[in-house]
Amino acid sequence: MSTSASTRLRTAAAATAYQKQWFADLSRRAADGTPIALANADAPHEILRAMGIPYVVNQWWSSIISAKRAGQPSLSAVAARGLPDDSRQYDVLPLGAQDLPEDLAPWGGLPEPRFAIAERSGDVTHKIFEQWGRRAQTHTFLLSRTGAVPAPEGWWELTPNGWETVFGAERLDLLQGEIEGLISWLEDHTGTALDRDELRRVMALANEQAQWNRRTRDLIAAVRPLPVAVTDSIPAVMVPQWHRGTQWAVEAARSLFEEVSERVDAGVAVWRDEQRRLMWIGRGLWTDLDMYRSFQEDFGAVFVWSMYLALGADGYARYGDDPVRALAARFVGLTDLLYVPPMSSSWYVKEALTHGVDGVVHLVADDTPGAALITEALEGAGIPVLDIRANNADARSTGDVRAKIADFIRARVPARV
Amino acid sequence: MTPRVTLPAIGVVGNDVPRQLVLAAGALPVRLAGGWDGAVDDDAADLLGAADLEAARILTALRRGEFRIDALIVCNDSQAHLRLYYVLRATPSGLRVHLLDLPREDSQPARAFVQHQFAQLLAFCEDVSGRTVDAESLASAGRAERDLGRALDRLRQRRRAVPSRCTGADALDAYLQAGRLDPAEAVRRIDATGCAEGSVAPSAPGTRVHLTGSNHPDASVYRRLEDAGYTIVSEDHDTGDGAWIGTAADGADVTRVIDGLVQAHFGRTTNSATALAAERARLTVTTASDAQADVVTAFIRELDDAPRWDLADQRVALAREGLPLVAREHVPADPTVAVAELADALRKREVTVS
Repeated sequence: MSTSASTRLRTAAAATAYQKQWFADLSRRAADGTPIALANADAPHEILRAMGIPYVVNQWWSSIISAKRAGQPSLSAVAARGLPDDSRQYDVLPLGAQDLPEDLAPWGGLPEPRFAIAERSGDVTHKIFEQWGRRAQTHTFLLSRTGAVPAPEGWWELTPNGWETVFGAERLDLLQGEIEGLISWLEDHTGTALDRDELRRVMALANEQAQWNRRTRDLIAAVRPLPVAVTDSIPAVMVPQWHRGTQWAVEAARSLFEEVSERVDAGVAVWRDEQRRLMWIGRGLWTDLDMYRSFQEDFGAVFVWSMYLALGADGYARYGDDPVRALAARFVGLTDLLYVPPMSSSWYVKEALTHGVDGVVHLVADDTPGAALITEALEGAGIPVLDIRANNADARSTGDVRAKIADFIRARVPARV
Repeated sequence: MTPRVTLPAIGVVGNDVPRQLVLAAGALPVRLAGGWDGAVDDDAADLLGAADLEAARILTALRRGEFRIDALIVCNDSQAHLRLYYVLRATPSGLRVHLLDLPREDSQPARAFVQHQFAQLLAFCEDVSGRTVDAESLASAGRAERDLGRALDRLRQRRRAVPSRCTGADALDAYLQAGRLDPAEAVRRIDATGCAEGSVAPSAPGTRVHLTGSNHPDASVYRRLEDAGYTIVSEDHDTGDGAWIGTAADGADVTRVIDGLVQAHFGRTTNSATALAAERARLTVTTASDAQADVVTAFIRELDDAPRWDLADQRVALAREGLPLVAREHVPADPTVAVAELADALRKREVTVS
């Protein structure tokens, strides 16, 4: 099959189409009385998967709300409840969107969840999910979020099997115990018992998916010029990520690897005259995805890296005989890998070097710690960094991103000879 | 900034430390504060990122060596404090730093984790002081801490009398001293704060105010508000009435004392960044009502987001009691104008100033 740079990845298109169909099915099932869950990105989804409870990921739904230009009315709905509309927007958009009229709600709106599940990250997440628990049909379950002690460099080599060392037994004991509490809570509410063999199967599938992501990431890192745009790889990775633990997700991850391999074999380039390779650290700019391609013509600059594929490659695999403890190990420090130095900084430097990055755009949100130390580590490795303080889900704060990046490229990222 | 004492001084950032354990280990817990007008170095601000400025002020003072402390405990009781810990760990200064990390949701696994955290805290303090706790040192520290708690109870009674026999500014100073001084010395100073029963009230009989929102590292904002004719009779932030001071547990050995402190931890309402909005609203209503406040005001620093998420619940709960809530959000680095605006809004009973 012939491919070109302008052709969207088949796997990305297929993932997006699958997601729309899946959401329509979920809405139908919810209308028929099936209880659904809203889960934060760092909650242990695999329990829901193994128990057959359909779930929507809060941050994914937030990205859809943003991309469909429903962010501002959603934030207005938050403000109408007397809550701040300028704090943790990425986490709170779905709460606001529940109050939108159907014609404004993306994809017809999220069915009222029966369960809302989150970890207590930051100062506010628990309060947002407390609000969810006040809705007539929704019950909230909160998990603890412990500090990153220890926080070793080089964790990516250890986490698949050596996670007890990486995260510490006490932290794992706590989250494992709380996940057991979550299981009991869901069993009580649904009258369905968790099949632990099914959980083992879900965990194995998730690990297989992570292995495919690792192969894809390694391939993209090694190839010049870039064969696939991040705007394609993000949905091709993240839609399956939210279906983690299914055979479909494994096949989607495998298909992505195969399609990227095809492109490499065919010599496909996102931008033939690739002169500068950029890394995007931080959440995706969902309100302006075209931005990622907008520096190619003027600067030959391509974004070769986003955290979504890379974390899918290095962050999720956890092997172990006890599926609940291994699951605890998946989530006990997942966000720390992205934000807590030296775990985060050492990883970004490793990724930047393996991808041959010439410059980094670092989107720093208010709720993400450790930004300065990440920037310092990259600059220390000789890689220029542009810090942009903005909220990816709030277009009010991202209006001048393109201009800042263009200035940065001109000033600090010379073209490769 | 902090007077040198004979015991090793262990700085504390946050409000989760069971002081009995630190005292029993032969060390003095010294709650650190940056101050409303404390300096903020560019480096400190950059390292912390978007975080409550009070944490940046503490970090600045730490990096300048302004706190005379031998070691530091940082509580994971806010994102700003957790960031502070991560920054200190990543930028070694020679100061020994320990993270105290307490879950908030009561459960058996959470209790086991807190037990482990308290045991580690104790080991850290013993390592700093070079002393080992025993039943006698735990009991002695418990007595000292309870004496301090009783002194604060007496202070609260004077403050909440009608008319109040203690200004809010003096009371806050007393709380801050209680968090820093040797307990016996702190008791003496607290008992000297305010007026004895039957004597003349030091403050004008102004509108009685309960204060919620951000904590206060010093009493300057209180003084300005009280100079404008208000009397702050209570608060629920964690450097005032919400400070975890005066709690102790009994037991024949360390394990039993720790068990008692674990129980105490899960029995309190913690700060806004760690508690649910409903819990915070209940605490606000209870405290304001007990203090016979006429009005509740929230004074919230920029980037101290958690208290802002409590306002809706607080407003509803207070309205049931007939208490108005006047909120001043996004207080900038220099709070002078914000205090003046708040005083004006209190006069007009405006709901929100931002």
